[in-house]
Amino acid sequence: MSLRVAGLVAVVLAFAGLYARALTAPSAAGFVVARAPAEARSSAPRYKAQLLPNSSAQSVHSATAVETSGGRLRAFWYGGTREGASDVALYTSVYSPKEASWSPERAVMTRELVQRHLKRSVRKLGNPVVGRDRDGRLCLFFVSVSVGGWAGSAINLMISEDEGETWGPPRRLVASPFFNISTLVKGPLVQLTDGTIALPVYHEFLGKFGELLRLDSEGRVIGKTRLSWGNSSLQPVIVPHSETEAVGFMRYAGDPPARVLMIRTGDGGEHWTAPIKTALPNPNAAVASVLLAGGPLVLAFNNAEENREELSLALSSDFGNTWRVARNLEGESPPPRAPVAEYSYPWVMQDSSGDVHVLYTWGRSRIKHAVFNRAWLEGGGR
Amino acid sequence: MTATDVFGLLGCALMCLAAIATALRLDRFPARVRHAVAVIAIVALFVPAGGLPLVAHVRGATGDLSVPTLALAASACASRILGRSGFAPREWNALLGAVAVAGLFLYPLALGLTPFDPYALGYGSAGLVTALLIATMAAWRAGLNLPVLVVVVAIAALLAGAYESRNLWDTLVDPLAVLVALGRWAAIALRGMGNAFTRGKS
Repeated sequence: MSLRVAGLVAVVLAFAGLYARALTAPSAAGFVVARAPAEARSSAPRYKAQLLPNSSAQSVHSATAVETSGGRLRAFWYGGTREGASDVALYTSVYSPKEASWSPERAVMTRELVQRHLKRSVRKLGNPVVGRDRDGRLCLFFVSVSVGGWAGSAINLMISEDEGETWGPPRRLVASPFFNISTLVKGPLVQLTDGTIALPVYHEFLGKFGELLRLDSEGRVIGKTRLSWGNSSLQPVIVPHSETEAVGFMRYAGDPPARVLMIRTGDGGEHWTAPIKTALPNPNAAVASVLLAGGPLVLAFNNAEENREELSLALSSDFGNTWRVARNLEGESPPPRAPVAEYSYPWVMQDSSGDVHVLYTWGRSRIKHAVFNRAWLEGGGR
Repeated sequence: MTATDVFGLLGCALMCLAAIATALRLDRFPARVRHAVAVIAIVALFVPAGGLPLVAHVRGATGDLSVPTLALAASACASRILGRSGFAPREWNALLGAVAVAGLFLYPLALGLTPFDPYALGYGSAGLVTALLIATMAAWRAGLNLPVLVVVVAIAALLAGAYESRNLWDTLVDPLAVLVALGRWAAIALRGMGNAFTRGKS
């Protein structure tokens, strides 16, 4: 066989494999809407807030949490001498609702361990996001940077099969063709009906825009969809309200007026509307959202255009068209105030008993946890 | 260590070796010197420094390299260290021309310039596969073996799971290959303009 014919045979075989891969790629899948929690234990308004333990880090940021067995909460955040320092590690702590207290924090991942597992240099660690896959395993996504600032970020994933006590080695996700830099996480993952996962991410290199990654059961990226484009939208949070419909919210980094951005899909995330500005202000800061069982939609956001000194909760009964600011978690609160008046990066979720939890950065020095029931949330005032 | 780690680290080592051989212009030296420098360089790349071998620091910056970059590195090593010549210039011009066009198309759009993201097509778009097949068959018909070989190796590596990425684009193009391709084609264009200017004067 001549070299030329051999080349043709190789081409045919290679493309046959490539076509087989393309034709067997997972088709579109719908959203799994979070299961409805049981009725709230009490209709009397209930609110409690406390700071999470922090015995080791001068600076902490970007909390995320998931409900584990027994109705407990496991939270993660990053902390170190300062944001971006080489000693920043990912920490975890467990909340017991029975005792209403958090366990002492412990480091689950350090920069040194990440680079040893990934077989490449890592300069710093950043935002973690935790969630569950279809098999009930905990998936912890987190940002790492090898070169430059946050625009040089990439996402990593590690999995726990024992509710976060131990973790498998981190693995790198590839989500950008440009040195795989500038992909970050902040919003919670969404399960899809075929067992794959939708992970909202954002880019910060040259453009600032959101995307929805699709991951297979092994956590490999197998698809992606643009949520926005350009240079002004980031940190998407996706809230499904049916198998095909979802609303998303994003931090706004563009020209005034500074407002929380909103997007929608009606086809299971295949296509998204262009971002529109809501009536809610946004000082270029992260937001968080959850759809309570039976509604309404809750949005945690900084209620100002210029600073992060006020953290509020807004409610919407029409999936984001109109909003009512229901509660202020910070800003008008009595002492103690944080040394640095910054209350940011909220994470909001509803547990299986119906209680709502908000975790957020408190003055960059602590993570604060507020837990309340629906009666308190909808009661108004503080 | 996983197979993707081995593939990624070896690719970065090959690129570093090519860069060293090119920077030192090793082809000027006797074979014994060339081989000794190559061995020393390979050892240095894999000796841990600060907890990680040097090649892992390079991988931290570049990520895993596309097949065209590996082909460029292999060619540089072959000519500078082993004294072997590889594919003809027209083969390289064709490959790097395609890489330059792909990079100029892919990067601005993938980095958020428009709502359209061609990078997403790399996960399993039959349209992208067909476009690549047409380009590959055109190269085969023109007797261009290097572009055909690169495409076949890239697809085989993707299907075998050698790359961390499941995206076809990551096996076909990376910023380093695009940079080299643009440089080569800029040099060709400048040379062509210079020749035209010289002809015009005479």
